[in-house]
Amino acid sequence: MNKIENKAHKFGMVIDLDKCTGCGSCMVSCMSENNVPFKEDESNKKDSITWMRVYKLTNGKSFPDTEIVYLPRPCQHCGGKGDHGHSPCVSVCPATATDYGYDTGIVSQIYTRCFGCRYCMGACPYHARYFNWWDPKWPEGMEKYLSPDVSPRMRGVVEKCSFCFHRYQAAKDKAYYDGRDDIEEDEYQTACTTACPSGAIVFGDLNNPAHRVHEIVKPDPHPWPNNPNVVGKSRNPNVFRLLERLGTNPKVYYLSEREWVRKAGDNYLDGEWDKIKNHHGSESHG
Amino acid sequence: MDSALIPEGAKRCAFPKFAVGIAIVGAVVLWGVYAMLLCWFKGLNQTNMNDNYGFALWIWADLAVIAVGGGAFFTGLLKYIFKVDELKNIINFAVIIGFICYSSALLILAIDIGQPLRGWFIFWHANVHSMLTEVAFCLSCYFAVLTIEFIPNILENRQANKIPFFHHLAHNMHGVMAIFAATGAFLSFFHQGSLGGVAGVMYGRPFAVREGLLIWPWTFFLFTWSAAAFGPCFTLLVTKITETITGKKLVKDNVVHLLAKISGWMIFTYIIAKIIDTIYWAMVTAPGLGFDISRFYSDNSFYGYWILLTEIVICGVIPGLLLIMKSTRENPALRLVAIILGVIGVCLNRWVMVLQIMAIPVMSFDTWALYIPSWQEVATTVLPVAYGIILIAVTYRYLPVFPQEKELNSVEPAAETK
Amino acid sequence: MKVDRRSFLGLGLGAVAGFSVSPVLLKLTDDSSIWTQNWPWTPVPVDGEVSYENSVCSLCPGSCGISVRKIDDRPVKIEGLDEYPINNGGACLHGISGLQYLYDPARVKSPLKKNGDKFEEISWDDAISVIAGKLNDIRTAGSPEKFVCIADKDRGSVPELFKRFLKTFGSSNFYTMPGFESYLKLTAEAMHGKGMTIGFDLENSDFVLSFGAGIIEGWGSPVSCFKANASRKEREAKLYQIEPRLSNTAAGADKWLPIKPGTEADLALGICSFILKHNLYAATAAVRFKGGLNKFAAQLQNDYSLSKTSEITGIKESEIEEIATLFAKAKMPIAVFGKGKGDASQSLKEFIAVQTLNCLMDNINKKGGVFIQPVKTYLEFPEETLDDVAKEGNEKPRLGQYVHDLFEKINTSSQPVVDTLFVYQSNPCYALHDTKTIKQAVGKIPFVVSFSSFLDETAKEADIILPVHTFIERLEDVPSGAGLSKTVVGLSKPVVKPVFNTKLPGDILLLLAKALDGTVAENFAWESYDECLETVAKNIWDSLFQDGYAILEEGVPEESVEVNVAFLTGNPSSIQATGDGELMLIPIDNMRLPSAAPAASPFSIKTVSDEVLKGRDTVVEINPKTAKGLKNYDYVALTTPVGTAKVMIHLNEGIMPGVVGMVKGLGHSFDNKYVSNKGVNINELIGPVIEPGSGLDAAFGVKAKISKA
Ligand SMILES: Nc1nc2c(c(=O)[nH]1)N[C@H]1C(S)=C(S)[C@@H](COP(=O)(O)OP(=O)(O)OC[C@H]3O[C@@H](n4cnc5c(=O)[nH]c(N)nc54)[C@H](O)[C@@H]3O)O[C@H]1N2
Ligand SMILES: Nc1nc2c(c(=O)[nH]1)N[C@H]1C(S)=C(S)[C@@H](COP(=O)(O)OP(=O)(O)OC[C@H]3O[C@@H](n4cnc5c(=O)[nH]c(N)nc54)[C@H](O)[C@@H]3O)O[C@H]1N2
Ligand code: SF4
Ligand code: SF4
Ligand code: SF4
Ligand code: SF4
Ligand code: SF4
Ligand SMILES: [Mo]
Repeated sequence: MNKIENKAHKFGMVIDLDKCTGCGSCMVSCMSENNVPFKEDESNKKDSITWMRVYKLTNGKSFPDTEIVYLPRPCQHCGGKGDHGHSPCVSVCPATATDYGYDTGIVSQIYTRCFGCRYCMGACPYHARYFNWWDPKWPEGMEKYLSPDVSPRMRGVVEKCSFCFHRYQAAKDKAYYDGRDDIEEDEYQTACTTACPSGAIVFGDLNNPAHRVHEIVKPDPHPWPNNPNVVGKSRNPNVFRLLERLGTNPKVYYLSEREWVRKAGDNYLDGEWDKIKNHHGSESHG
Repeated sequence: MDSALIPEGAKRCAFPKFAVGIAIVGAVVLWGVYAMLLCWFKGLNQTNMNDNYGFALWIWADLAVIAVGGGAFFTGLLKYIFKVDELKNIINFAVIIGFICYSSALLILAIDIGQPLRGWFIFWHANVHSMLTEVAFCLSCYFAVLTIEFIPNILENRQANKIPFFHHLAHNMHGVMAIFAATGAFLSFFHQGSLGGVAGVMYGRPFAVREGLLIWPWTFFLFTWSAAAFGPCFTLLVTKITETITGKKLVKDNVVHLLAKISGWMIFTYIIAKIIDTIYWAMVTAPGLGFDISRFYSDNSFYGYWILLTEIVICGVIPGLLLIMKSTRENPALRLVAIILGVIGVCLNRWVMVLQIMAIPVMSFDTWALYIPSWQEVATTVLPVAYGIILIAVTYRYLPVFPQEKELNSVEPAAETK
Repeated sequence: MKVDRRSFLGLGLGAVAGFSVSPVLLKLTDDSSIWTQNWPWTPVPVDGEVSYENSVCSLCPGSCGISVRKIDDRPVKIEGLDEYPINNGGACLHGISGLQYLYDPARVKSPLKKNGDKFEEISWDDAISVIAGKLNDIRTAGSPEKFVCIADKDRGSVPELFKRFLKTFGSSNFYTMPGFESYLKLTAEAMHGKGMTIGFDLENSDFVLSFGAGIIEGWGSPVSCFKANASRKEREAKLYQIEPRLSNTAAGADKWLPIKPGTEADLALGICSFILKHNLYAATAAVRFKGGLNKFAAQLQNDYSLSKTSEITGIKESEIEEIATLFAKAKMPIAVFGKGKGDASQSLKEFIAVQTLNCLMDNINKKGGVFIQPVKTYLEFPEETLDDVAKEGNEKPRLGQYVHDLFEKINTSSQPVVDTLFVYQSNPCYALHDTKTIKQAVGKIPFVVSFSSFLDETAKEADIILPVHTFIERLEDVPSGAGLSKTVVGLSKPVVKPVFNTKLPGDILLLLAKALDGTVAENFAWESYDECLETVAKNIWDSLFQDGYAILEEGVPEESVEVNVAFLTGNPSSIQATGDGELMLIPIDNMRLPSAAPAASPFSIKTVSDEVLKGRDTVVEINPKTAKGLKNYDYVALTTPVGTAKVMIHLNEGIMPGVVGMVKGLGHSFDNKYVSNKGVNINELIGPVIEPGSGLDAAFGVKAKISKA
């Protein structure tokens, strides 16, 4: 008997930074899928709504030893300290307008409940949350392409990546009509994943050993001995999470063969990286 | 022309002079109201806030006024619970200042949220895990308490007091005020604390996060303590300003000295706790998350160690010591320096705990985010100050705020009572 | 009852109290919040039945398969089509943004006629009859060769119809905008014989040596290249990137070799020289070289010794040795050419020099190598019948070899050389070098007709604009051609009813032909474009219609090809940049910005970094060493022999000192506030430099100066 069946899902991603080209398909696919508005000037990136934002990182070396890497950043769907569901943003929202789905691991955002206090934005160290400073406006006629699966947000509320939750709902509905208990790996894929021309994004259930994301990440179910707040550390030496040491427990993992890239994922005191870099999950439970 | 309303035996300036003053400050209020309406009708795009700076100037102002408004609950606590009777001579004014601060805070919150008409969701869909929920509940309740504490003073107005019902109501309210003062102190303790908690629980922000006791991070206690410590400084400062403007002595020195002394000891003990907290955070908490403390004070054009030094030493240790020591405390100039430094210190602390948090990059590849407020933000931040001035002017003119005023300003001006 | 003050007060207070405890307040509070959740100015998308339709994207030469999600009749999302032979799922950001082009309110919504400075709407009938009248006049005047057409490409039924239209009219003056496909054909023709073209089997090569080809910057068929690039990791295939700037391709490569701009051909020849000198070439290669290898080798030894090559290119001798050796030792190496997206100005010398490397390794027509084969035709048009006017006209010489020659001729000749110009789906007034002179030339043409969906820079210069369907609304065959290892024809299908009063370009030509004198009409005897397509594509129609695509060529070609390096032995000099500034301005191709037509979409502009576009300003890249005290986002005046622009500075360690990099694709000036009036069009700063021997505009950059503004 497969034990997975009755277990909650834990949807997550692993993004191969060695494959990512910074092409931006994921960003645009997300905007198009999720009715993200646009405005005349989007060059101030601090007020530009991009649920998926692709950061450009450099190794800080001078010509010609410079290297760059692109790092796509959706919402990390943090499990919070100890992976108990108290994501940095969820735990602070006074109106329960953002919530942790214990059956999916997805951090939701309820636009019609959010009253725009922006506390969640302060709490999120990844800048994954965006405020609607303006009324969303589409040029006349362009609202025809808006998708009914995702409601356009109103001015004054916060929005963010939902792991394309509506795709999960659609997949579940289909499974239900087909008389199945659960969905298949390929039935629920996010819009950024399917758009990526490089196949850099792998999405699936971190709880399901048959899923590719689990195969790559090999998450350690036990707390990390160095920091008990950290759960689900990858046992793949090339896989890391952003700001893992904070104990936010993101469900978005990154993969790179380049050491400087892995190091850039978190903050380290001088000399600390060399001591810490080879800890990949709790060896004892290997 | 309004002499019938002016407290018996009190001298007030001529009405036209008063009206001109109010009109000038009123213009500032109108400017603020215009900015406020812009924010409501056009949205928060009227500000220079952005997705990095979701909390900005006026949230700092919000926290700052609540901190300095802490004089009300702390003086109330001392007067009604600890029966420090001398403070009855300043308690009315402390309550009025508190009322101004808290009503301002609520107004700022109403402007700050993106969906003001849904503001009540914070109560209806309350999330018990959120510090902000705690803030909202306690803040609202405490504001109600302050209003209740303010009412008897209003009813003591010469005309109102003529109505027997109001007269008795005021009298009886004074009688039960200890209960409200206790409630207020309790509520205040929590919301001052939870405002500190707002920052301290943000474990995604190494600059803000603190360990703590049960669900409360250390900032929870530090905020309450600092409000109690520096709030009286603000009460004294505003009293001093009022005295300067009216050209009258309104509170006796022994009262001032007493409050200053209490404040001094509070500041002194607070600052020791703050120093311990800072050292622990700098040596243990932040490094544990991979942050050398220099990360918070370098690589940008504004936030340097100076801010830490100013907050803790110049505006913490120094005013604390000045107010503890009798000689400096009872020297009017040095006392004034101390209370000014104290007020700056607590405001700076709130600045650091709101704005510096937002400015500091957390991801290794992120950059510092500095911001400059828009005029709309400045206007809405100045609005409460102007409103406060008007309220103080009006209450001072028409209410018996200072019980010692008459005594101190009888025909022959009373000399310093040593 | 007497209402005294007391009872009035009581009543009032009572009313207030009653109101307060009644549910009214609660209800109003609730209602107001519900109102905020249903603001009438926030659109509510209409729900409906979900369906998916497959089609092909033709926004770029990539020709990817797409799947369009629809809600009832409304397309709401474009995604890459799984199992399509070119992209197999995945699409680039422009394809995904396709619906923003479809619904763009700045589209040309009906035929327009210029009246003074303004455009006025006219009916299709009027537009056709005005144009036909003009054309008939030209024929009557006996100068049909003065009718000229510029199109975006020359393959597919629509370009064929344009060509047919011109030919039966009596003009040989059909031009295409510079494109990678035409360069491939040109190179193949020069080296391997007439009618040949080149494809790269990137997905099977184990060592790609790229001379600035932006493999993940939109080069060739972009999504297909992304996939080939991504699979390198699993295949353990290497990519070495040679270019002056750390592009995304360079960043993702195993090694980046910064090279002095414009010396790529010299490096390729230096490597050839090294390979020949050390006998590292394939034993089977020599026999392919027409006239043998000896003379060529001797010439190279002389001109391109290691030290000379190193001096010219700025790459260390040891590095040249290393790449030459790695390239030669790889199992299936490929050298690729075509800087950036491969579409703008390019040098034939460079292409041939790089292709010679492939020939030396004899990776021709082998798996993982370079495929050289005849261009596949799949359309069968009936033989044209030409009347005398047409016959005479066709015999007159073309006005020039390339489109830039055409404009040069117009500008320099005192006589009007062009009477009527058709511009189809291209934007020469934006995309060609020195746009000022191009606009000037277009201005000299008495009658210009633009077939365009948008009021772009060239359409704005036209006398009549005939709005065409966007790719989402279109039926059309879309042949792939951008250096792929296989040849696929896709079928673009009308996924949605035309949003505006637009037509298929083919149908417009049928209407025009029918209104013309002589035998033109006879040659366009189809009822509609639909019918025409089905007839001329009959050989592959079943497959096109059923599968949505037809594969013309797949797998390793069997042709055995000759190699001719006569162009190189003719010893052409390398292109030099014009001007006397101490800096070199080079264009940057950015995947997130289309370099020419159509312009960017609002979504794609949104993704552009603030290190490229800040507010309304282009941000140029320079190395901190070159910056001399300038800081990020300082304004500078950038001056070249052709023009001056005010731009911002971004300090980038990833660009060679002495080089200024400026993105292509900004500085549009048409009426769309989301994409226009942002930044500078680099083509306003660079002038053409004609390559001797090929006649191509081969300007790779221009000398420039910067001064603090
Ligand atoms: N992106 C996006 N996010 C959204 C929404 C959206 O439209 N888009 N909608 C929002 C709304 S309105 C809602 S209601 C929420 C829904 O969000 P959830 O409340 O997370 O809803 P479900 O996904 O239906 O999850 C319910 C879980 O209960 C389990 N379950 C079913 N029956 C039983 C039972 O009898 N007992 C127990 N213990 N478990 C059971 C199911 O297997 C499933 O795991 O999502 C919100 N989030
Ligand atoms: N198949 C399926 N059915 C479900 C569920 C499911 O998971 N799957 N979940 C059930 C649950 S829990 C719920 S709550 C319901 C939700 O069902 P609905 O209430 O239908 O919720 P949505 O489908 O999310 O949104 C409805 C419509 O509101 C539009 N809309 C968005 N914002 C606004 C706005 O501000 N004003 C107005 N007027 N319209 C707006 C959206 O574009 C959308 O077209 O569905 C229930 N039914
Ligand atoms: S990334 Fe930010 S928004 Fe997303 S779950 Fe984590 S804290 Fe919340
Ligand atoms: S902005 Fe909205 S989601 Fe964020 S904390 Fe406030 S109410 Fe919650
Ligand atoms: S998972 Fe969906 S919502 Fe999140 S970034 Fe990707 S496309 Fe956007
Ligand atoms: S689509 Fe893929 S390759 Fe492109 S930026 Fe996103 S993750 Fe990177
Ligand atoms: S690569 Fe070209 S053909 Fe493919 S989706 Fe992008 S624009 Fe369309
Ligand atoms: Mo729901």
